[in-house]
Parts: sequence; structure tokens; C-alpha cells
Amino acid sequence: MLLAILVSNSAGNILLERFNGIPSEERLHWRTFMVKLGADNLKGARNEELFVASQKSVYIVYTVLGGVCIYIVGKDEYDELALTEVMFVITSSIKDACGKSPSERLFLEKYGKICLCLDEIVWQGILENTEKERIRRLIGLKPPNPTEI
Amino acid sequence: MADSSGTTLMDLITADPAPVPAAASSSSSSSASSMTAAASPSATHPQHVSTKTTLGEKKSKRAALMQIQNDTISVAKAALNPVRTNIISHQKQKQKQKKPVSYAQLARSIHELAATSDQKSSQKQLVHHVFPKLAVYNSVDPSLAPSLLMLDQQCEDRMVLRYVYYYLARILADTGSQGLNPGGGIPTPNWDALADIDAVGGVTRADVVPRIVNQLTTEATNTDVEFHARRLQALKALTYSPSSNIEILSKLYEIVFGILDKVGDVPQKRKKGIFGAKGGDKESIIRSNLQYGALSALRRLPLDPGNPSFLHHAVQGISFPDPVAVRHSLEIISDLAIRDPYAVAMALGKLVAPGGALLDVLHLHDVLARVSLARLCHTISTARSLDERPDIKSQFNSVLYQLLLDPSERVCFEAILCILGKHDNTEKTEERAAGWYRLTREILKLPEAPSNSKDKSQKTRRPQPLIKLVMRRLESSFRSFSRPVLHAAARIVQEMGRSRAAAHALGLQDLDEGAYGNQYDAVDSLDSDMNDSSHPEGIRRTTGVSNAAGGKDTIAGMLASLMEVVRTTVACECVYVRAMVIKGLIWMQSPHESFDELKSIIASELSDPAWPATLLNDVLLTLHARFKATPDMAVTLLELARIFATKVPGKIDADVLQLLWKTCLVGAGPDGKHTALEAVTIVLDLPPPQPESMSGFTSVDRVSASDPKSALALQRLVQAAVWFLGENANYAASEYAWESATPPGTALMMLDADKMVAAASSRNPTLAGALTRLQRCAFSGSWEVRIIAAQALTTVAIRSGEPFRLQIYEFLHALAQGGVQSQLSEMHLSNGEDQGASGTGLGVLITPMIKVLDEMYTAQDDLSKEIRNHDNANKEWKDEELKKLYETHERLLDLVSLFCYVPRAKYLPLGPISAKLIDIYRTRHNISASTGLSDPAVSTGISDLVYESKPAAAESDTLDDDLVNVWAANLGDVPAVNRVNEFLAGAGTDAPDVDENIISRPSVSYDDMWAKTLLESTEMEEDDVRSSGSSSPESTGSVETSISSHFGGMNYPSLFSSRPTTYGGASQPSERSGGSRVNNPSMYEGYGSSIREEPPPYTSPERYDSFENPLAGHGSHSFQSQDDDRVSSGNPQFGTALYDFTAGGDDELSLTTGEEVEIEYEVDGWFYVKKKRPGRDGKMAGLVPVLYVSQSSGST
Repeated sequence: MLLAILVSNSAGNILLERFNGIPSEERLHWRTFMVKLGADNLKGARNEELFVASQKSVYIVYTVLGGVCIYIVGKDEYDELALTEVMFVITSSIKDACGKSPSERLFLEKYGKICLCLDEIVWQGILENTEKERIRRLIGLKPPNPTEI
Repeated sequence: MADSSGTTLMDLITADPAPVPAAASSSSSSSASSMTAAASPSATHPQHVSTKTTLGEKKSKRAALMQIQNDTISVAKAALNPVRTNIISHQKQKQKQKKPVSYAQLARSIHELAATSDQKSSQKQLVHHVFPKLAVYNSVDPSLAPSLLMLDQQCEDRMVLRYVYYYLARILADTGSQGLNPGGGIPTPNWDALADIDAVGGVTRADVVPRIVNQLTTEATNTDVEFHARRLQALKALTYSPSSNIEILSKLYEIVFGILDKVGDVPQKRKKGIFGAKGGDKESIIRSNLQYGALSALRRLPLDPGNPSFLHHAVQGISFPDPVAVRHSLEIISDLAIRDPYAVAMALGKLVAPGGALLDVLHLHDVLARVSLARLCHTISTARSLDERPDIKSQFNSVLYQLLLDPSERVCFEAILCILGKHDNTEKTEERAAGWYRLTREILKLPEAPSNSKDKSQKTRRPQPLIKLVMRRLESSFRSFSRPVLHAAARIVQEMGRSRAAAHALGLQDLDEGAYGNQYDAVDSLDSDMNDSSHPEGIRRTTGVSNAAGGKDTIAGMLASLMEVVRTTVACECVYVRAMVIKGLIWMQSPHESFDELKSIIASELSDPAWPATLLNDVLLTLHARFKATPDMAVTLLELARIFATKVPGKIDADVLQLLWKTCLVGAGPDGKHTALEAVTIVLDLPPPQPESMSGFTSVDRVSASDPKSALALQRLVQAAVWFLGENANYAASEYAWESATPPGTALMMLDADKMVAAASSRNPTLAGALTRLQRCAFSGSWEVRIIAAQALTTVAIRSGEPFRLQIYEFLHALAQGGVQSQLSEMHLSNGEDQGASGTGLGVLITPMIKVLDEMYTAQDDLSKEIRNHDNANKEWKDEELKKLYETHERLLDLVSLFCYVPRAKYLPLGPISAKLIDIYRTRHNISASTGLSDPAVSTGISDLVYESKPAAAESDTLDDDLVNVWAANLGDVPAVNRVNEFLAGAGTDAPDVDENIISRPSVSYDDMWAKTLLESTEMEEDDVRSSGSSSPESTGSVETSISSHFGGMNYPSLFSSRPTTYGGASQPSERSGGSRVNNPSMYEGYGSSIREEPPPYTSPERYDSFENPLAGHGSHSFQSQDDDRVSSGNPQFGTALYDFTAGGDDELSLTTGEEVEIEYEVDGWFYVKKKRPGRDGKMAGLVPVLYVSQSSGST
């Protein structure tokens, strides 16, 4: 289960969050935990350098992409390595939506598109599409595999 | 925080992006300024009331509702007016002011634009402004649904439609404000609640959901080829509807199966190279798209294990060309396989055969698909129900082994975990042990697969032992720079250690380690029965010596070189990776090897201030888990735990540490007990912390507590250790007064202190050592430590026989009179200083303790005099004399029970000589013949713990693990233990609590009760250091009260306390000195009969309000709230008496084991119960301790 996906700006303000199966009273805890992780570790990190944390059997992989920080929380089959895959999909489609590594401003400008991308990547806490091209087609309401060659 | 970030987000997202407004970007940096920015628009435009309200504000809710209503009305108006101008004016307004757009505005725009969705500009407006901004809110107002549905039917624009599906899905998913919907961003009002406030015009989810579902269902069943992309999206949106709705669910099944029935059959075998986008004719691509959509939807539906068509469709999916569809189908099947491996294996049939679809998955470019494949193979290859079909099992097994060669670490590691026998967290030790066996013994043979001739795998065609592959893979992973990879690799090592420990625990170790892991010669002559013959006897070596000399080819050698790599990983800068590495090292640590290296690694790691406390406690819990797996390591693990106690006292949880101590002490067995106790008490021997400047190098034996906070925490640990020592020294030393062979009289003759000490240490060095330490603590150290040390000494004195009791008695006397210090001060009387309180300052505390011992000795003296008189005069004992004697006996027992728990039936305060006389009296008067049984300690198995001479004790050596299991299983709802259990079960914060200790004993064992008392107390002290504590008696409050309420302060729960004593705990104010006169019912058994002056002990919680002791405030509050929870809700509950209970007062009720009672209510750890029939004493109802009754229904 992908428990949460969280995007914050470099100051730790949350721009976007998607929780799956986390009760609302625990969400604040997770937010704080992740923002703190980012504040502690992400300063001076390279773009898309991956960081890892774990809390009991829950794994967290996070990274910095341009002006935003992305955190993914998963458990069970979504261990740190699977989250790495998910992270790769998310960063590449965000870059795709924004055209480059997004600044905070650019991210917010493309907010709607990014939400749709996430909707195609994670469907009810389960990873769905992983290919950039395919995601692009799906958010344009085109079939996943192109019918015209 | 969410709110502040929300405002910032709001500003940025809603401001018009084209000209970059300086105000907006600056507001992103500080949330304070953005707050004002957000506030301003509502001031300038009062008609647009901001809906960014918290859910609790009713007033603004109402305002928001009004706003929505207004909007709806204005939509109606807008429909009449020329819309174009409306939009333009809207845009103008926006550009002019660049103000954030409120939710109401957005909602209004949607309504307006939906009406004109055929126009390009409206579509553009929707796609570029309205919908993206709406996405910021974490839920969607159901009143938008009509407009969205309108758009869905009329609009042609793909982007608009895509958003429409997105929002429809979110409306469906929204299960109310507290729901688990994957929302995010700015909180929105609870729409349904709003509609309830004022039903006029409100649109609720209940209204719109059926409409949405109908619309989506129609679309999802539309078979038009050109429509199929929308069909997929409609199906996807439908799956978001709550699964509790059976109607929608069955509709969904119908749709999905309908699609799969049509397109599910794949006539031709999948061609290579059409994965993904390339190749194929249009028809087959559309089919594959539909297959994908249907399977994805199926994956989100609840499993239907008994349904053959469910399984059939899932199995079909493996052959689908779409990789995501294949992944989903594998995931479904691997879930199904856990429930019914046989059916799944049969359904898969030929797919697993060479050239089958399952083998194609090996080359599928989808990591998670291969992960699921590994799980599936593991489940089937280990299924019991398939024991008849070894052919099937071996096929799946070989696929699993092939996955070890997978290029992706994720897949390879999953395969390793599967081989190791870890699939979820409920595996048994046997499974893990078998896993280790498999890993070390089995060999991977690649099947002849002509179809893969292009593959590189040709090079590795030679059969390889699994262990070798795994080691090589892990070693290379540890060389990776990616932190997730390092973390995962360390985790795999940890799991390997777990399986290895399990194998050792089951006695498989002789198969392993020294044996050659690999023999190329043997392997080259590959034949089918290689697995059986690959380890001829001659090659096996024993462990130990060959480890060093064995070189690369033995498993031990490979492990050694792996561990070398693992150790270097400690240098990783990520603390989580390091934690995982340390956990791995702890697990891989073999009980027979030196752990110096591990020790120094941990010691140097802990010097790093970057470690967060949670992580350290996690590592501590790993020690606990390691102990569970290998009880032999108790002492080693205690040594490691000590490093934590000394290095990072401020960060670790004293309760967890104490639990570990206790577990290890019990688990260490008779031989190890002494060492275990030494390891605990060594905390007391540490020199005081040195200033920071001194810490040039790392040493285990020096305390690092440079800041006040950790110095305080260290103090707490020391107190915990002292208390622990007092409570458990007798157990560790196997010295009990009621077993002592020495008659009390002889001790009186050894009053010479030196002789006494010599005699003591020769008799029982463990106890003597403990006493020495306690005595030192009672002299030196802070006053809190001294107090606890004095209490601990009393406990030991009461429980020990002579000469220990006398030794302590002497010591306490010295302490009370000022001991050494006062002697010294007499010598230097004239130095002019005010000496302050005399002596150690413990006088007031010690007096009652000495008094009890005094009384005991006096009574013993009297008794021996009486006996002599009777003997000399050859008189029979008269009944009155016996009665007097018995009464003295009881009175002393009651007194003693105030200080610590003793088994009443066994304990003889008058010494062994009194036993006979008391027995006579008892038999004559038929007094509580059952005392022996009713005694909780005896009846519940303290004998397991206490009487080592009995067979039960022998059992406790061998079954330590079990014992510990049972503890852990029954410890109850206590933070520390929960954490241990959760940790052991591998549960996350929100993971379902998997209780791996399902072994339940029919009756609560003594250990449980012990642990329960220990742990219940810890609840109260959770994070407040000052609130009353008891398992680790640290708090000033508790100590303060314990001084003032002489007896009340002795309430530390202990190995020997059988009642939930801590309910009163130290928070109980001085009932003797104070005026509030609250009688705590949880005082010790028998307390009431002689000492209690107050009638009803079942004080209602309110009575605590009258407390005037400020120090008790914390404790009593938390206590009280706990009570409120525990008082049952009124419906009658029934229970069964677990043990005999003898009423200790008028309000209490005697019970016989097995008696059925009705529980009226609970208060302070006592049940008020009613019996069906009056008991022997004629009473029907009264109080009994909670622990004595098992509730048959309901919960406390």
C-alpha cells in the first residue's frame, strides 16, 4: 500500500498530499514527521538524490526536485526499493508536466495536470501506470495504448 | 501547519499566473504574511465569504452554506443572462485584483461554464483555471455534481472530460469529512453537515451518488470502439465508490466480468515485443486496453476467493499483452494463492511450464509484476495442500530461484525474502528455519530455455548454490550509492539473521556454517537429485575452527565476508541505513562469537547526536526480538543494552529497557541469572558523567550525559535499575525467606557485622553482591536514588532469609541514625557549618521499615520464648495462645504486605518454627484451607518463577522462549510492551496489529500479572516525567508522596505484587497524614483487615478531586481518566473467577475459582460483582480485584 504521497516546498509548506488508508488523526503526525525529515536532510541535496527512512515497517523515500520536495510513504510490497520505482515515475511525470524540474511556482501553475498524473500513477494506494508516455496519454483521455500508429 | 501551508498554497494557486505578482511569491516564504493576504479579499469583497474554515466553526459553515446557495441562484440567473459577458467580467475582475479565488467562486464558475461548455473559451477557462484550482481543495462539494454530470454528457473536450472524471471519482470516494479519501490540500467544509444544518437547497452526497453511478455505469458498458478511452476512465472512477455499497459493488463485478468475458480470451500466444505501445493491429490494441481497464478495476475490488470465474479471469490476465494488466493479475493471483494455493496452482496449470506465460513474466519490464510472481511462486511452492504434487511445487520453486538473478534489486530481494520464509510477519520459527536451510542448501538450476537464446543468462547457465548468488548480490548492493538500496540490503541481512537464528533455535546449526556452500565439481555433474547429494558427509565441517580457515567456500566464510561489507556500511551518512545495519548485525551476531566488534560499533554509533530517539528505541526493541529468538544471548544483549543506557540515556525509553532487563533476567535461566543481574546493575557502577571536553575517545564504560536533560534521564535509569534490583534480586539469587534453611535464631548469634557479611556472601554471592550495590546506592547518589535504594533494601530484607535480613536490618539502622555521615559530623563538630538534616535524610522514610523488621524480630523472640516455656513446662498449646499467635502472624503478614509482595500462604513472619503451630490453629478452626491456592502467586505459577527445585523450574529453562512469548502476548495495553509486540510483529503505525503470540494459556500466569502490574503503571507516566511512575520510580512526585505517606509510597509494582497496585500508585496522597482520607482499594491484600480505617474502598473517581497534594495531581488525573474509560457502560457483564480470593474487608467478596459472577462496574482496578448464590460467608456482592476475574464478554 502506498500510504501517502506528499509534496512540499523547500520551506516545508505542504503543496500537495495524497493519503491512502491513513486515518485523519494520524495525518498530521506523518506530515510533521516528513517535513522534519526534509528539513534535517534535504538541505543541499542534489536534484533527485534519493533519501530513505523507515518507521517500524513503514518505509519512506524522499527526494528534492527543483523547488519542491517529494515524499512517498509505503508499506508491505512498497518497500524502499519499490518506492524508489514509484518515485522515479512521479518525478519523471512531474518533469514531463512542467517541462523541466519545477520551481515551486511552476509546480503550482501545473497543479491540475500534476494531480491528474498522480491520479494515473497511484490508484487507490496501488501503483498503476509507470510509463511516462502512457500517463501522458491517459491524462489526455486517450487510451493507454495508442490505437493509431 | 496544514492551514498555514494551505494559505500559501491558496495564494499561489489562485493568483493569476500570467504576470508574476510579487506579493504572492513573497508570501510563499512566510505564512504569516500570506495569512493577511488571504484575509484581505474577504474584507474587500464581503459577498465572497471565504470557505476556508475549520470544520468546527459552525458560524462560518453557515455562511459558506449561504454562499453556496447564493451561487446556485446566481447560476440560474446566469443562464438567462448573456453568459459571455459574465465570463469576461469575471476574468477582468481577476486580472485587475489578482486576489485569491475562494472555493465558492470556483464552484460558481463551474456552474456557469458548464452551461456553456460547447464554447471553446469556456472549455479553456475550465481546463486552465477552474479545475486546477479546484484540485487544491481536499474534497469536492457534491453540489458540483450536477454541473459535472452536465459537462460529462455535453462536453467534447478531452481535457475537460478527464477532469470531470477525476472530480466525479473524488465525490464518490469522499466518505465524509473524516473519510479516508485520498484528498489533500486545503480543508473544505463538511458538505453533508452543511446540508444538514439547513436542508433548503443543499445537495448531499446521498442525492448525487446514485446519479453519478448511473451515468458512469452507462458509460462503462458502452461498447462503442471510439468511446473506449472514456469507458476506461468511467470504470476507473466507479471503483472509487465505497466498497461498503453492495449494490455498486455487484454492478462493478458485472461490468468487469462482462468486459473480460468478451475480451479476456487470448487466442494467439502473446508475441514478443508488443508490450507497451509498439506493434499490433488496432483491434487487438483496443482489446488490450479494455483488458487492462477491466483488470485494473478487478484489482481494486475485494477478493472473491471462492468464485471460480474470479480466479479464471485473473489467471487469464497473465497472458494479456498489457504489462500493467499482467501485474494486476499476478497481484490478484498471489493474494488468492495465500487463501487457496491448490485452486490457484490448478488454474495456472500449464502457464508455469517452460514457455508458459508465467515464465514470460520473468522478462516483463515491470518490477512489481515480478515481485508478485516471486510471492506467488513462494506461496505455491510451500503450500501444504500441494504436498501431493511435488512436480508443481518444484516448477514454481525453480521460477522463484530464477528470480534471484533478476536485474532489479527489488525483485531479487523479494525472492531472497521468500526463500528465507518471510512473507508476512506471521511466519513461525519452523518456516524461518526451513528458509535458512533452503537458502544454504539449495541450488539454482536454470532450465533449458531455447526461446531465450539471446539472453545473457547463457553465461550463468551453470548451476549455482543459492547462498552464493545471494551473497554476491548482497555484497554488490552494499557497494551501491543509493540509500534505499543500502537500506534494503541491510534489511535483507537482518531477515537472514532472523532465519538463521530460527534455524539455530531449532538445532539446525550443525548443518550449516562449516559446510561447503558450493562444490563446483559436484555441481558440474548436474543431475536431478543433486539437491539430495550435494552435501556429502565428508565435506561437512564443524563450525568454529573452520570459520577462520574455511576460506571463501564455506557458508561461514561467505557470511564473514558479507558481514565485513555490512560493517563498512555503518559509515553511511544516513542514520536510517545505519540503524538497519546495526539491526542486521545484531541479528547476524551468533551467540558463540565474540561480540566485541558489535559492541564497539554500537558504542561509537551512539556517540553521534544525529540519532533520533525513535530509531534508538527501535534498535533496543531489536535486542528484545533477538533475545526472543535466542534466549542464550541474554547476557550479551544486556551488555549491549547497557551501552544504550550509558551512551544515550536521554533518548531511550526506560520502560523498554526495563522490560528488556526483566525478560532477559527471566530468560537467562538459573545459571545466567547472576550474570544477568550483574549486567543490569553495572549501570549503577558507572562513574558519573564527565564533562564534554573529556570525551576524546569512545568508551563503553563512560556515561555520556553532558546535557541536563540526558543527565536527568540517566538518573531515571539509575533509579529504574535500583528498583529493578530490589524487586528481582531475590529471584535472581533464588533466596527466599520462606525457603530459607537457616533458623532465625542462629542469625541473631552472628551479630558481628563482619562475620555476617562473610556468611552472607559465602551463602549467596548474587544476593550479597546486589545488597552491596544497594547499600552503596543508599549512601551515595541523589536523594531519589537513595530513597528507592532504601525501599529496595527493605523488600530484599523481607523476602530474604537470614543472615541477609539481619544484615539489611543493621544497615537500615545505621542509615536511620545518620550512618557514617553523622559519625563524621560528630568528629568535626566544630567546623561551624550547619549540617542540615541529619544523616542521610532518610530517617523519616526508613522508620516504618525498621519498625516492621523490629516487630518481626520481637515477635520471633516472643515466640521462641513461648515455645521454650511450653517445652519446659511440657504444656500443650491452648487455643487462646494459638489464636494470639495466629493473630500476630496475620498482623505481621499484613504489615509486610504493605512493603512488598510476599506469598501469604508460604510466608512466615514468625520464622519457620511457627509453621507447625499456625498449621494446628488453622486446621482446628478450619481457616481458609484454600489460602495456599487462593494465593495468587502460588496458584498462578509464581512457583514457576520462584521454586527452582520443582519441575516447573526446569521447564522454565527450556521454555524460556515460550515464557517470554506468553508475557509478550498478555502484557496488555501498555506502551512499552505494545511497542515490543508491534515491533516484533513488524507492524507499522497503522498496520493491523498482528499478534504473533497466539499461544494462549488457559489461565493467566503469574508472569502476566506481574508484567501487567509493571506495565499498567507505565501507562500513567507516559511522557510526563513528573507524573507518578512506578515501574521506574523516577518521579519527584512519587518520591515526595512516598515520604509523606509512609506506607503508600511502597507501591512500586514488582515481581511479587499481585495486584494492580499502581492504580493507587504513588499518586495516592498521604492517607494517614492528609485530611482527604481516600482509601485506595488497590492497596495490598489484607491491608484493610488490620489497618484500614475507612469503610468503602470503591471511591468514585470524583473523590480524587478533594486531593490537596499538588504533587499527586498528575498521577491522579491520568488515573482518573483511565478510570472513566474503564467503568463499564452499564450493560451487565459476566465473568468467571480465575482464582480463589479471600475478602480482605467488609466490602470485599470472597471468590472460589471458577465461580460465575456478574460484573456490575469497575473502579480503581476492582470489580464490583454479584454472585448467583451467596458464598460461605453469606455475602452476595462485593469488590474483587479485576485480575481475579476473567470477563466473558465485553471489554474493559
